[in-house]
Amino acid sequence: MKRSLLSLLAILALAAGLAAQSPAYNLKSPIASKPAFLSSAGQSADVEMVKVLLDRSKIPFKADAQAKAPALAASGAKTLVLAIGGSSKGLGAAGISAEAELERVKAVIAEAKRLGMKVIGLHVGGEARRGELSDKFILAALPACDYFIVVADGNKDGLFTKLCSERKIALDAVEKISKAGDPLAKAFK
Amino acid sequence: MKKVLASALAIVALALSPLAAQVPVNLHGRSADGANGVVAAAKPEASQVGVDILKKGGNAVDAAIATAFALGVLEPNASGVGGGGFMIIKLANMKEAVVVDFRECAPAASTPDMYKFDEKGKVIDNATFEGGLSVGVPGEVKGLLYAFDKFGSKKLSRAQVLQPAIDYAEKGYKVTVNLEQIIKDNFEKLKKFENGGAIYFDGGLPYELGATIKNPDYAKTLKAVAAKGADAIYKGEIAKAIVDEVRKRGGILSLEDLANYQVKERKPVVGTYRGYTIMSVPPASSGGTHLVELLNIMENFDLAKTGEGTPATGHLWAEAMKLVFADRSKYMADTDFVQVPLKGLASKAYAKELAALIAADKSMPSATAGDPSKYESGSTTHLSVMDKAGNMVAITKSINYFFGSGVVVPGWGIIMNDHMDDFVPKPGSANSVEPGKRPLSSMSPTLVLDPKGRSFMTLGSPGATRIFPTVAQVISNIVDHGMSVQEAILAPRYFQMASGKLNVEGRVPINTYNALGPLGHELALKLDWDAYFGGVHAVLYDYDAKMLRGGADPRRDGQAAAY
Repeated sequence: MKRSLLSLLAILALAAGLAAQSPAYNLKSPIASKPAFLSSAGQSADVEMVKVLLDRSKIPFKADAQAKAPALAASGAKTLVLAIGGSSKGLGAAGISAEAELERVKAVIAEAKRLGMKVIGLHVGGEARRGELSDKFILAALPACDYFIVVADGNKDGLFTKLCSERKIALDAVEKISKAGDPLAKAFK
Repeated sequence: MKKVLASALAIVALALSPLAAQVPVNLHGRSADGANGVVAAAKPEASQVGVDILKKGGNAVDAAIATAFALGVLEPNASGVGGGGFMIIKLANMKEAVVVDFRECAPAASTPDMYKFDEKGKVIDNATFEGGLSVGVPGEVKGLLYAFDKFGSKKLSRAQVLQPAIDYAEKGYKVTVNLEQIIKDNFEKLKKFENGGAIYFDGGLPYELGATIKNPDYAKTLKAVAAKGADAIYKGEIAKAIVDEVRKRGGILSLEDLANYQVKERKPVVGTYRGYTIMSVPPASSGGTHLVELLNIMENFDLAKTGEGTPATGHLWAEAMKLVFADRSKYMADTDFVQVPLKGLASKAYAKELAALIAADKSMPSATAGDPSKYESGSTTHLSVMDKAGNMVAITKSINYFFGSGVVVPGWGIIMNDHMDDFVPKPGSANSVEPGKRPLSSMSPTLVLDPKGRSFMTLGSPGATRIFPTVAQVISNIVDHGMSVQEAILAPRYFQMASGKLNVEGRVPINTYNALGPLGHELALKLDWDAYFGGVHAVLYDYDAKMLRGGADPRRDGQAAAY
């Protein structure tokens, strides 16, 4: 009986340890250099949330949701962070069409690659930030990413898993937006 | 030993559960039955507040007012002290129902041309629905307390009906899937008007599922209302704080506007549907009148025969809605300012004429050259209360868009409405802005008497222009198709303006969906459970079982409570 109790206590301790331990990410070592440049892919409000995540992670960055390609070189940033998610409201407020936004995003990514910048993509909008409009931007931006963080609810259909595994891009899924800051911080040297 | 193992495994599961936590949107268990009283509202906690008031000896009005104040805390995106609404009350001893109109009105300094347009014809800076210029004079506290003082049981104090709301504001409430998404969707607005972000963000990010939100400033506001009544909001320190913040954000609200705000008691719009008496709200809501008009048109068709969920029935609803919305855009406005042919719109003879325009085999392209302009956002809330005495109350209230204008009064936690957006923002319309005028609404809190004249049902919904068509469909589901109140609420819905696409909820039968196209309808398929179609909360008296039955809507966080 004593032995059984001891074993049970050991199981409990292990479980508690597992629960308390910081999560193991698929990105095993930092890939990105500071400072970062944050832009949007789709003009959703998610870019504002990623700003907060970068602030909390103490990663120096400049942000321009509607940045044009030349802004990257001028910023001196070493890493491009993209907050991906389409919003018709956001596009309307920015006064641009989805097609024009796609072209802008592609040009920004191309410039980042030309400058040798790492690209980190985030999709923090969850299931609600999926659908035809958002998926256009995901499909356009994700293949260029060196690392991707998704709030798990947005990956219910496995789209991010599929795209990242096909391209061997490290993907980490987090339960909540507030949990995305930790892997984001760990991606930076 | 087995017991020890089981306990240990349970503890392990508990320890690991946060890693796998999932809160499904529960479609079951939304209804509640009780012999004494039932409250159905957009939050389970709010419905329970109402039931607790009934248990303390309050009547249906007391319960409704307590529930309404609690909703202002628990569903802050939809209604609150900074908003307004409509209420319909019929106590068992009243011959006629009364409508309490506490809809916002335009500030005295408003003018028909107060909004400016850019070269594309868009209102500059979204001023009709964001910031101070979108704020109408709020009516909620005056309206709720007017009803409490005049129609409440007098057995409970004002402080007693406000206390549950104060407790939730102080101690907090859990964020649901629904609320989490609403906060995320309105992140920019809440951030722009930083006082809102200070309440609904956790260190700069939206509060997420399971987190606890507290609003001690709003608790302070409600305590002041408990102590001083409506004057706490409409005069003095809080009034000054409201006016200062609204004006700081570009508004024109004045202390005089607040002090002069008047609740209006009105006679309900009354119609019948297959022997049931329908009582709802008159202008400044278009909802009641058009609810009666829509049901009058539908009465010309044997829906029991055409069947629930069939193409024929869906087609009839769509065509009837086109006709009603054509009238709405042409005639409806605040009757204190504009002549509206209310009797004609609600007459059976007129409905018969309209029904004759409907062809069974062909959709009309448009009922008029009409103006299918929007009047309201979907961020509204509805609650229904009925007790065993047959007292019935229905309240629909709102701050208009989710989180209203975005203007939040610092130190008091009040989110100000943006109901000025419900006016036509240019001169020349029956619904153009005028000082003191109430903007057109679709809110339709509704009471139903059975063919014997007994209290039968109280219901209503948020959902902007979808409100009265949704209420009409729920009534028909019960009267024509014999559904229970909960089945009637769950059934898929249709919505059609005077022209444009027929919106159908995702669960509409596939055969119906396929058959509607060839009749000439251009279809817009919405989600399976789409909040676009509102959130109906209803209570019905089942005389055979001597039981009150409450139904609530899973499209929002609806839940009925009973005892």
